[in-house]
Amino acid sequence: MSETENMIVLEGVEKIYPGSTSPAVERLDMTIPRGEIVMLIGPSGCGKTTTLKMMNRLIEPTSGRILLDGDDVTDVNGDQLRRKIGYVIQQGGLFPHFSIADNIGVVPKMLGWDKNKIRERADELLHLVGLEPSTYRDRYPRQLSGGQQQRVGVARALAADPPVMLMDEPFGAIDPITRDRLQDEFLEIQRTVGKTIAFVTHDLQEAVKLGDRIAVFATGGRLAQYDDPDTVLTHPADDFVSDFVGGGAAVRRLSLLELSRLELHPIETAESAVGNRNGTPVAEVDAQGRPVSWRHLPDRDASGTALVTVPLSGTVYDAVDVMLDGSASLVAVVDDEGLPQGVLHWNDLVAGLKTRERDR
Amino acid sequence: MNVFQYFAENSTQIINLTIQHAQFVFYCVAIGSIISVAIGLVVSTGEPNPNRFSFDWWATGIREGSLLITAAVLTVPSLALFVLFLPITGLGVTTAIIVLTIYTLYTVLRNTVAGLTAVDRSILESARGLGYGRVRRLLTIQLPLAWPVILNGIRVTTLISISIAVVASIVQGPGLGKLLLTGITRIGAANAFPQVLIGTVMCLVVAAVFEIIFAIVQRLTIPRGIRV
Repeated sequence: MSETENMIVLEGVEKIYPGSTSPAVERLDMTIPRGEIVMLIGPSGCGKTTTLKMMNRLIEPTSGRILLDGDDVTDVNGDQLRRKIGYVIQQGGLFPHFSIADNIGVVPKMLGWDKNKIRERADELLHLVGLEPSTYRDRYPRQLSGGQQQRVGVARALAADPPVMLMDEPFGAIDPITRDRLQDEFLEIQRTVGKTIAFVTHDLQEAVKLGDRIAVFATGGRLAQYDDPDTVLTHPADDFVSDFVGGGAAVRRLSLLELSRLELHPIETAESAVGNRNGTPVAEVDAQGRPVSWRHLPDRDASGTALVTVPLSGTVYDAVDVMLDGSASLVAVVDDEGLPQGVLHWNDLVAGLKTRERDR
Repeated sequence: MNVFQYFAENSTQIINLTIQHAQFVFYCVAIGSIISVAIGLVVSTGEPNPNRFSFDWWATGIREGSLLITAAVLTVPSLALFVLFLPITGLGVTTAIIVLTIYTLYTVLRNTVAGLTAVDRSILESARGLGYGRVRRLLTIQLPLAWPVILNGIRVTTLISISIAVVASIVQGPGLGKLLLTGITRIGAANAFPQVLIGTVMCLVVAAVFEIIFAIVQRLTIPRGIRV
């Protein structure tokens, strides 16, 4: 297979449904780089799902060209093409009369894989999506929860190891808590598999969280903006996008800013540091070295301020959340072991965001 | 002569007629079901695109047309239909089988179409998205999922056929009709009542046997994942 930088290329792709005068998708040029997650978002009827379905030709474009990994697939056999592209829909679309293992094995089976290989692959994928194979492989879809079915849906799409995955609101019908966990797992899986993914969503939060890029579609099938999440939120291309992104964009951006990317203030844990005059807060730690309370704060009474922590892997949004929750104006940032890595002040945070803004 | 005495003296003949009746119903339902399911499969592959003339238009036309015709036939009194076929196929088993088979069509066809079209769209869409072609999707996804409904149609049509098969004896068809009709035409005479009663009871026995068979077939052929 030729190694091209752009996995999916749409060239002047247009869809006009028969009997309709206006296009569902207006002449669209779009390039999805290898290994990236592109989120297609927009109001209903904006053509985001139509665009997704044209990528595997579930919907045939009226005009234009589709290139997959450098090859023109506009006119190849649709069924053959779709076996090489993973496809996940809402609620998984699992076949109720197939066992979980058989569901995962459908594409490999069509591709003529050997039975043992299909079974091994199903077990491997169940592991990957966090379902114990010995427990789940012989069950039927109706015996699984919605979240578990969706995991199997993802596993099934990955079965024949396609370079490209298309996902049509896969987490749309799932309760918020499970959805959040599935999104985290999805990113975790993507870190291992590195697929090129086009993902339709109507949830901006989801788009920002998962996407390497966001494609905002406007009513009438026009691609209004195609940029990384940060740019879409801070520099909307036009009025439509800024309306769509809506109020609270600055707050939403907080969830994009990872704490590990920030300059943190130092933190001391040694008892001798109490009473220092350089403004460094001093925390009392437990036997494992984890901060439990403030010994000394430069500008106020340490005993009156709760010590709140946030993991380094979190975002500024998480930091703000724990500060508000604990009525604390500063937060200790800790690593995976719970050891203190630095401090973030409420005031720094505002200043910090401003500084980064100027950096761009 | 009472009923038990009559049964005892004619048991061989009665049992033969009962077996004949069951076979008669079985063959007609089998032929009718194969025809109906085949038509149902061919005509239920997709919804026609309102803007493009295609095979789906023919399919929809054939589907609605055949449902209409088979439904209309069902309203024709069975006595009349058997007699109407006399000039074409004459007295005997052939006419009996043709007419009874015609009666089995509607219920199975209706249930086949209903079962196939009731399959969840998201399941069919994901099948298409995974690269299932039309025929593969129909046979490995749609048909198994519609099977409980289709099987139920076959079961209902079997029960109906057991009673319609009785009428076939007026064209000298096989089965318990012979016994029942003899009794009915000679009502008041000796043995007439036992003949009618025994004929009726044996029809019930045939129905019971079919019900048991269907319960077993259901158990064996409905995929485990969708069994209720």
